[in-house]
Amino acid sequence: MNTQEAFIKMSDAVQEGDSDTLIGIIEKVIGEVDPLILIQKGMMPGLKKIGELFESGEVFLPEMLMATEAFQDGMKIIEPKLRESGKKVESPGTVVFGTVFSDIHEIGKNIVITLMGTYGFKVIDLGANVSPTKFVDESEKVNADIIAISALMTTTMTYQKDVIDYLKERGLRDKYIVLVGGGPVNEEWAEQIGADGTSDSAAGAVKIAQKLIADKKGGVS
Amino acid sequence: MVNFIDVIDRATTGPMMTQKDFDVKVVIPALRRALKKYNIKYDRKEFVNTDDALADRIFEAAVDFYSEVGTYILDTERIIKFTKGEILEAVEDAPKQAYFGEGPDRCVMKGRMPDDSELPYCHVGSGTNTSEENALRLVESYARIPKAKTISIPIINTLGHIRTAAGAPTEILAAIRAMQYGREGCRRAGRPGLGIIDHVSSASTGVSTIASSAPQFGARPSDGWLIAPFAELKTDYSSLNQTAYLTAWGANIGQEAGPLLGGYAGGPEGLAVMNTAYSLHGILVMRATYHLIYPIHMTYVCSSQPDVIWATSASTQAIAGNMRVPYYTLMYAAAGAATKMYFDEALACLIMLIASGSGIEDVHPGKAKITDGCTPVDMEFTCQVGHAFRGVTRKEANKLLEKICPKYVDKLADAPLGEKVNQCYDLDYFKPKPHFQKLYDEVIREIKGEYGIDLYKY
Repeated sequence: MNTQEAFIKMSDAVQEGDSDTLIGIIEKVIGEVDPLILIQKGMMPGLKKIGELFESGEVFLPEMLMATEAFQDGMKIIEPKLRESGKKVESPGTVVFGTVFSDIHEIGKNIVITLMGTYGFKVIDLGANVSPTKFVDESEKVNADIIAISALMTTTMTYQKDVIDYLKERGLRDKYIVLVGGGPVNEEWAEQIGADGTSDSAAGAVKIAQKLIADKKGGVS
Repeated sequence: MVNFIDVIDRATTGPMMTQKDFDVKVVIPALRRALKKYNIKYDRKEFVNTDDALADRIFEAAVDFYSEVGTYILDTERIIKFTKGEILEAVEDAPKQAYFGEGPDRCVMKGRMPDDSELPYCHVGSGTNTSEENALRLVESYARIPKAKTISIPIINTLGHIRTAAGAPTEILAAIRAMQYGREGCRRAGRPGLGIIDHVSSASTGVSTIASSAPQFGARPSDGWLIAPFAELKTDYSSLNQTAYLTAWGANIGQEAGPLLGGYAGGPEGLAVMNTAYSLHGILVMRATYHLIYPIHMTYVCSSQPDVIWATSASTQAIAGNMRVPYYTLMYAAAGAATKMYFDEALACLIMLIASGSGIEDVHPGKAKITDGCTPVDMEFTCQVGHAFRGVTRKEANKLLEKICPKYVDKLADAPLGEKVNQCYDLDYFKPKPHFQKLYDEVIREIKGEYGIDLYKY
């Protein structure tokens, strides 16, 4: 199997969520190929493809989750070599993501996180029932670009505002892009509480994240 | 049926695992196995399922799937599991009728069959965000609709200038206030006995539900309380506390669920099985006396998309034919209120539900995301369609949807926002404003012209 064939098979294995096949191929070629190239040309295309299929409605969350799991299994083999090489995977940005205090709904957050992962975002998942201080403290710790705040209920979306208010109190509001989302959240609410954006769909959330990061870094959106 | 005490005991003794493992290692593979074993396939040739054998297989798949998966309890990280025998026994024992309201407004919700000539149960209202100044008049406007058998009351999320918050004292006070507005609105409409069956949308926690259900605020056991799960097939002690209280009181409990097409259930076939499995979860865990499903498309955030329409029709038939439980469905339109597109979406959804054997609720405009985004006209329309299309068969429904769905499907991703209730409806005189009345007249004329049915006669 030459390198090009290996890349194609790795990409297919990621798309199919087939960790065993993926790991088998990685183990065969890892001694011969730069670990960063293995990720970029072998695994990332598969992840990107599954993200595109998800956006077009051809696959759904289960397929995307399986692909992400396979990707992570592959990374476990490649990461030690990557560290040795001193190289690292470029990411469009770091996102700290959670569901607000008093709300334990996670599906919407999990869908967006999974799709963001397929676009190379580094996402820190804080889980559910996250306090405003934790959102901000964790973002400071990892030097996040985006704070993404999910809320499923009308009675919990008010806590999205609390996160933004706390950022303001600490003088950190302009440091972060703040995205809000969830069942009852709409643009009117996002604007009212001073968030930078919202979207109904996971694909829309990724596009907004890409655009706002590009704007912030002065790039082309 | 397995006793509720045994159910909550299983919440502390069932198999333990993380939530992620439940989603990825239990729910997803079990659903895939069930779809394959029972050959559940959607060929996209029809909007409304007409295959009775497929509907029965969806029910069998749901029983298999639920017996394998059970219900996950977030607090204990354990799974409440039931054997197939226990599930089928519960289906047999489940209430087949639910009684709501008092006096002349007392009514019964019962299961219907696909192609049934029985009148569909007409429920109206909206448990959606509403500004406090509109709440009372809106409830009154819902209760004034004579064909409405029961109503939902709005969510109050402000107390004066203070926004309410889950788990805070403001939530309890808002839930109590919503309850008071609900009962007072019914009184003002001259229907004090009308059943309110979405208690209490303003309460997201067990403590708020229980506090606002105290009789001094107007609640009666002949109302109905909806208890929602977490996606998919998960619940928590706060919800089980509501069940414990309501069963002890002898009140009606509604099992509600809004599974996502594209979420853990996957595509339309998975959604059909998941919808059905929720009714099993509802009977056994939530002790439901009635059932509400509101499936949503993950990308379009509405239910008028054809894949959701088919999945809902198929699961409705699976439940109607095999369970006969009191059942109604809420669907979401992408378009906002007072738009032509809203009425196209609503008509398609309602006809599918009537033909498939479900009770109906007004299709909520604007993905139910807009504060003050529902209007009494949507509700009047629902009742008119429910009565006018009574007895429509699935075959006829397919022909109708072939004409209706193309009017809006391509616009779902960019649907018009529409208007808020105060822009298009006069809440002092309880009638649409002239421009909305004009639009509504046009809608009624179009339906009469294209399908030969004059809704104004109903």
